[in-house]
Amino acid sequence: MLREFCQWLYDSTIGTSIRESIWVFPIIETIHVLGITLLIGTIAILDLRLLGLVLRREEVSRLASQILPLTWAGFGVMFVSGFLLFWAEAAKCYANPAFRIKLLLLILVGLNPLVFHLTIYRSVLSWNEQLVTPLRARLAGFFSLTLWGGIVCAGRAIAYFQK
Amino acid sequence: MFMLHVFQWLGNSPVGIFMQQSTYAFAVTEMLHLLSLSILGGTILIVDLRLLGVGLRSQSAAALDRELKPYLIGSLTVSVLTGILLLSEEPMKCYYNEAFRLKMLFLALAVFFYFIIQERLFQREPSAGTNLLAKAMGVVSLLLWLSVGLAGRAIGII
Repeated sequence: MLREFCQWLYDSTIGTSIRESIWVFPIIETIHVLGITLLIGTIAILDLRLLGLVLRREEVSRLASQILPLTWAGFGVMFVSGFLLFWAEAAKCYANPAFRIKLLLLILVGLNPLVFHLTIYRSVLSWNEQLVTPLRARLAGFFSLTLWGGIVCAGRAIAYFQK
Repeated sequence: MFMLHVFQWLGNSPVGIFMQQSTYAFAVTEMLHLLSLSILGGTILIVDLRLLGVGLRSQSAAALDRELKPYLIGSLTVSVLTGILLLSEEPMKCYYNEAFRLKMLFLALAVFFYFIIQERLFQREPSAGTNLLAKAMGVVSLLLWLSVGLAGRAIGII
């Protein structure tokens, strides 16, 4: 099922034109990396604050409300450009181990803030100003940083496994 | 001529030979290069966007810069070091690559702009982040770093 879908995307007019154009693919790739920079750069600030490493005098909730719009903007750019890249190479990505690992890590990195917001972040007002946040908040920051790092590495590795 | 000799020396150095012969060294170094770039790009974006009045408005741009500077310098160091390792794998190809030359030019300009010009603004106006000069500096810095990234991507294409 999935394999047929990937093949269908790969053979579609749009997928083929992105793949066969000399400039379109690298340009989308560059936009993808810029989107990732915005996404990871901003989320890393929040993660590092949860770990008590930067902006320690800033309230966590105030930092989050100012920084998350930028993170979402980066996510939007990354997602759209990433999907276009996938569209062009879908059939090759399907069997690519680095691509599979990256998707798995993306699911995990999506679950992390979900759990964070549904649990420890509900009580944010009680630890908003603490230099060192509760253990579960620090764990969320740690997992976010490691998972996003893994996603960058797996993403780069896709090109090495693309046949 | 001097730079040509430096590049040749780099390619023939033990590090260069290791990078050329190893199967995984280049790939792993490239990943580290990308990881440090995302931190570097992120810290620069946060400060420059703040200069434009976007993002962390509860902090002044100068305060943000002070807080994030260790990460900026650390990630810049790692990207330069991993960049030299990547360069040692194919120094002659890079030497004659126009995109590589452009990237080095933009990198020098961006670093100069940050450490010499932007820093002066932060020291003179600790609450910088509202006037036109601050906005102009944010735009120039973003454009310079964007050019570094675009030229860097182009190295592998041309």
